[in-house]
Order: sequence, then structure tokens, then C-alpha cells
Amino acid sequence: MGQFIQLVVDGLSNGSIYAVLALAIVLVNQATGLINFAQGGMAVFSAYITWLLTEHGLSLILAILLSVLASFVLGALVERLVMRRFERGDPDTAVVVTIGLLTLITGICGWLWTYNNQQFRSLFSLTTVSIFGAAVSIRSIGTFAVIAVIMLFLQALFLGTKFGLALRAVAINPKSAALSGLPVGRLLMAGWGLAAALGAVAGALVAPQLTLTPGMMDTALVYALAAVILGGQSSPVGVVVAAWLIGVVENLAAVYVHFIGYDLKVAVPFILTFVVLVVRPQGLFGRKVVARV
Amino acid sequence: MFRSPGLFSRAWVRRAITAIAVIAVLAVPLGFDEYTNQNLARIGVFAVAVLGLNVVMGYTGQVSLGQIFFVGVGAYVTAYGATHGWNIGVVLVASILIPGVIGLLVALAAARLGGLAIAMLTLALPIVGVPLAKRLSDYTGGSQGLSSAFSSAPEWSGLYNDQWQLYVVLVVGGAVFLLTRNLVRGKYGRAFAIVKSNEAVAASMGISPYRYKVLAFTVASLIGGVSGFLYMAVVQFTSPETLSLGHSVTLLASMVIGGSASIVGSLLGGAYYVLAPQLANHVDPNTTELLQGALLLLVLFLLPGGLVSLPRVIARKLRRNRPTGGADRQQSSSGAPARGRKAVEEAPTMSGIPTGRPE
Repeated sequence: MGQFIQLVVDGLSNGSIYAVLALAIVLVNQATGLINFAQGGMAVFSAYITWLLTEHGLSLILAILLSVLASFVLGALVERLVMRRFERGDPDTAVVVTIGLLTLITGICGWLWTYNNQQFRSLFSLTTVSIFGAAVSIRSIGTFAVIAVIMLFLQALFLGTKFGLALRAVAINPKSAALSGLPVGRLLMAGWGLAAALGAVAGALVAPQLTLTPGMMDTALVYALAAVILGGQSSPVGVVVAAWLIGVVENLAAVYVHFIGYDLKVAVPFILTFVVLVVRPQGLFGRKVVARV
Repeated sequence: MFRSPGLFSRAWVRRAITAIAVIAVLAVPLGFDEYTNQNLARIGVFAVAVLGLNVVMGYTGQVSLGQIFFVGVGAYVTAYGATHGWNIGVVLVASILIPGVIGLLVALAAARLGGLAIAMLTLALPIVGVPLAKRLSDYTGGSQGLSSAFSSAPEWSGLYNDQWQLYVVLVVGGAVFLLTRNLVRGKYGRAFAIVKSNEAVAASMGISPYRYKVLAFTVASLIGGVSGFLYMAVVQFTSPETLSLGHSVTLLASMVIGGSASIVGSLLGGAYYVLAPQLANHVDPNTTELLQGALLLLVLFLLPGGLVSLPRVIARKLRRNRPTGGADRQQSSSGAPARGRKAVEEAPTMSGIPTGRPE
């Protein structure tokens, strides 16, 4: 039983990291209708900024906050300078652009900071506490708590502020939003900036576990995308629930299903997604998209 | 290549040129040194892989990040069959059919989701494929990989190994290119083009987007299998690294840089795949990825049709001496097929109807 609880809590903690990245992807997807494959790469870049600042003697908390700010600016710039031109065009081209961005950003990280692993300090201590007989690490609880706070913040931002309302308006119908006087371009930049800032948090949370490398987020990106599909591309809540589900199920499968084990647990979200898609193509919480001709 | 009417449009001239080109290509392996021949053979291998990707992505507009997986499966099947003494014909057929069946199963699920879900799901193939190849070590040799030298030149041919291997690539790859060219220029190619430009219109014309997406993806994985067979014939070694995500991204970049929805572009893509890392290594091995990303973005910004469209773009710039307007930018990266002219003729009338694109 102790092991089971431990696995579930660790799964929720991992799932939380996928959830942040998935939320960032949904944020961009809602605003621009495209999937940003570079989201993970941008998060790695943010993590490198954090790491660089701590290497220069800043405290970790301050470094993360500065990196979040810098990521917001960089994300907005990427939208303005690179993505803007492809947003109204063919969505498949835009996706290829994000894949190009992923390669470029990973390449920049590798070029500037080499492909060697860098040690990244953890925000939370690694000591464990005992809950119902299970040894649960402070890090797992801390990660989960950080994500919960971020979600509440986002929820408040989107539902409780004028800025959030404007963002949602742009997402639903950019043309009408522009006609009612909203600065659509700047709001899109803000959307990308927010997504990049979220990525910075995800990067700082995952880097201590995986150690910092340019390809650190590749697997997390895969999990996040699976969560996006599973949860339904249009539903933030659904995506977070799906990410937790994936985190828990893969942890349980790694231990209890002999064939899967630790090396093949990356297949779990996809088996899960595969099954769900055959039954519900729109995802667990998504709406059916109807095209108007 | 020969657009100007007159001499080159006559059937017998074209046939003669084709015949001369074929003879010239067949003479190539005899005339070069071993290093060049091996490079050319590798280019052929990856040109076939890019061609497969082009069928699903360039012609049908479904972004696939999983093409390398099918190449890898084809290579593993070939290696397994060759080391177990199967007949070479059986090996070839198995190395094509097994990836094809896997591709069909993946596509049946992925194509149910509209839009970009295929891109997201196919990303999983290399990510899951690498640990899976390590796990199934009874068949794949685990992390060590499999090697098999089944493609040595036979005694009677009197050729060196590198020459023989290049011939294998030329014959098998040539056949695949010919078949694919016919596929994308015919009825199916037109159906692919409509599915790419507007799924709702395709459906209203009785062309099931689902069915054609599945078809395109399956064809792409079949071609990927051929590429895997050729890979094994040329490289003679495969390991889990063969089907890593990085290679799949490079394959996609090669396709866009070479020219999407283009047969010649696939060849250029294969050349890019093989030669670009070699060039970048001369500069600094650490910058390979950086240069590739930058080049991919540059091509998307400046030359959306890929390298294959370069002569056309230059010709157009020379012809019209006025500043280029929106007309040039209309061609999206996965835009007008350079060779499949019939497909293009259909497409503009389709997209001329003011329609909303299904998201």
C-alpha cells in the first residue's frame, strides 16, 4: 500500500510538469490554432537562463523569477518576429515553423552551453516525509503545490480580469476582436509570452530531476502533447486532468505491468491516447469541432 | 525541368532524353571512387525516405514526425531476415509490408482526429520506438544493434561492393520514385491535393479525407520500409539510434528544404540529409543543429517552395522586373507541387471558393 501511495504521489508530481507544458501548448493553441512543438525547447532555454543566473550567484528563487520574466519577453518576440507571418496561412506550414524553431533553439542551447549535462539545483529538498506509511518526497509535494497555485492564478487571470477576457476574445474570433478595438497583435504576443513563462516554470521544476541538457524536454513534450490530445485540445481543465492521469498511470504501469517496466513507460500515454481516440475522437473533455463551409 | 514548348515537349525527344539520363545514371557507379559511391548510395536511401514523407506531408498536408520509425522498422526487418538466411525477395517484401501494416494501424487511429493530431501522434513513434528496439533485444540485438553484410557484390558481377550497393539503390529507389510519381500525378494525387487544400470541400466532392489520409500515411510507411531495406543494404548496420527523434526532425527539415510536394525536391532533400551534417562538421560539430534550424526557418521565410523552386523563383524575378507582391508569398511551404502539374490545376479552383478551413 505504501508503495502504491508513493507511486501515485510521484505520478501526480510528474503529471504536474506535463500539465504546465500542456497548458502552455493549449494557451498557444487557443490563441492561434496551432500546436507549438518548440514549447519544450523554449522551456529548456528558460531553464538555461535560470541556471546561468544561479551560476552567477543569484538565489534560485530570484533566478527563476527573472527567467520567467525574460521568457515572457522572448516568447512575445518569437511570436512577433517569427510566427506572425505564418499565423494566417496554412496551419501545417506554421507547425513546420515551430519544428524549425525547436531545432534552432535546441541548437542554440547546445552551441552556447554544450550538450553536456549540467547540474541544476532543486527548489525543494529531497527529504521524504511519511504519509500513511508511504515515503513521499518534499519535491513531489512541492511541485504539485506550485502547479496548483499556477492553475488557480491562470484561472483567475482568464476568468477574472479584463486582460483575460481580451485574450479569450482573440482566441474565439480574432477578426471580430480586432473590429471591437482589441489590439490583437499585442494580445497574441502576450499569449505566447505567457506560454513561454509557464514553460520557464516547468523547466525549473524538471531540470533538477533530469539534469539540464538541450534535449531535456523532448520526452516531457511528448507527454504534454499526449495530455493535450487526451484532454481535448480546447479544454485547459481537461488537459490538466489528463496530464495527472498520464503521470499516475505510467508510474503504476512501470511497476505493476511487467512488460512495460521503466524503459517503456513512455509508451503508456500513447496506448492510453490510442484507446481513447478510437472511442472519443474529440478527447475526454474536448468539444467536436465543426467546420463552417 | 523542360517547360518551354517546342522541341522538348515532343514525346520522342522526351523519351530519348529519359533514356540518355537513365544510361548516364547507370554508368555513374562505375566512374567514381568508393567514397563518392557510398555517399551517393546514402543520398539515394534518404531520398526514398524523404519521398515517403512527401507523400503524406507534401502532397496530402499531414505533418508526420514518425517517418524515421518506418525506415528503422524496415532496416530491422531486413537485418533480421538477412541474418536468418531468408530469401532476399522475401526480405524485401517483409521489410516493406511490416512497416506498411504498422503505418496503417497508426493512421487508422491518428487520422480520426482532424488537423494536427497526426503530427502529435507520429511524434510518439520515434520516442517509443527507441526503447522498444532496445527492449526487443531477441530480435533487434538491443542497444548493440544488428549488422548484416548481405549486400556484398556477387561473384558474377565483377563489381566492387560499393558499386553493387549503389546499383541496388538505383534500381530499387528508381522503381519507388517512378511508382510514386505516377501515384501523385494520377487520380490519387488529385485527391491528396484536395484533402490538403480543404477537407470540407473534399468531403463534399465524395472524397473521404479520412480514407485518403490513411492511404497517404500507409503509402508513406511502405516507402519508408523500402528506404529501411536500402539503408541496411548500404550501411549494413542498424541500432536504436537509427530511429531517434532527431533523425526524424532532420528528415522533415530535409523535405521542406528540398521542396515539398516535389519528386525532384525529394532527391534534393536526400542530398541535404546526407551532405549537410558533413559540411557542418567541417565548421563545428556543435553547430549542426543550430545551422539546420536556422536554414529551415530561412527557407520557410524566403523560399517556401524549397530548393527545387529556386530556378523558378530566379526566372520569375528576372522576367518581371517589378517588386514581388503577394502573389509570390501565396505559395506556402507545402505549396504548389513543382512537378504534379495536374494536381495544381485542380487546386486553385478549389481554394478559389471562399471557404473556412476546418481547424
